[in-house]
Amino acid sequence: MAPAAKDIQVNENSPLFEKTGMLHKEFPSDFRQIRYFTLLIVQSAPPDIKEINLLEQQISEVIKNAVKHGNKCDPEKKVRVWYDFSPEHAHLIVEDEGPGFQDLEKWNEFNRKRQVLLEGNDFEALAEYVSFRGERADDNDGGNALFAALEYWDGGFVFNSKRNVVAMLKRFPKKRRGVKVESEK
Amino acid sequence: MDLKIRKNGESYIIDVNGEMDLYNSYKLKELVMKMLEKKVERFIINLENVDYIDSSGIGALIYICSTIKKMGFKLVITNIHGSVKKVIELTKLMGYFPITPTIDDALKRMEA
Repeated sequence: MAPAAKDIQVNENSPLFEKTGMLHKEFPSDFRQIRYFTLLIVQSAPPDIKEINLLEQQISEVIKNAVKHGNKCDPEKKVRVWYDFSPEHAHLIVEDEGPGFQDLEKWNEFNRKRQVLLEGNDFEALAEYVSFRGERADDNDGGNALFAALEYWDGGFVFNSKRNVVAMLKRFPKKRRGVKVESEK
Repeated sequence: MDLKIRKNGESYIIDVNGEMDLYNSYKLKELVMKMLEKKVERFIINLENVDYIDSSGIGALIYICSTIKKMGFKLVITNIHGSVKKVIELTKLMGYFPITPTIDDALKRMEA
């Protein structure tokens, strides 16, 4: 039996929205500086985090969504980011000033159909489900960022009720510590 | 991102150098569309020197792949590694894209 597709959750009461002890930055909605803003956040992550390039990429995607789809690149509107990193986790909360992710249910439905095709290795039919196109999507939108986000943020990826704040958690495997001892011959 | 084209037999290899991100992935799309206008039918996209890709880059590859498939022409994406491979795996599109480990494999697949 195929595993159930993961959904994007809406849960105002998720513990992932708890901001106590997290660092905080806010940025203007400047599309040109999305990767720069991301680097300002990621630089506080421990360098031994596994696949830090991938962490940077995933954070860049959520900031891009906030700047472009949330705030429509209006420089008067801010993106606020709370973040906390350790070698074992990355926890982020990203807030924009937009109307919220209105297509969330459509996206979940789309992803469920996509998952069925993936499980069946039906790559021909999958061609219609490789990118989610919201009503305001343009040619530069990949339409695939949230598929990866749901897989990457394995501790949860959840919106608030208004859907303009998203919280997420990534768990990293603990590194083995100690001295390697060669076995006796 | 820097794009270079070289020819091997009937195939055109596009060497992508740099990052495929939200600021430049459109360049690869535009290049392939221009090559299609010039009647190129066999494409190999070499990602050996790409260490970063985001959803715009994946979107560009999806657009290129679906366009070439619809036209009945051939495409292979090759030398995917590191976080680029990981991002494609996260989107679960490893089976959707025509991928080979090396350019030699890509050339053999073109002849198949």
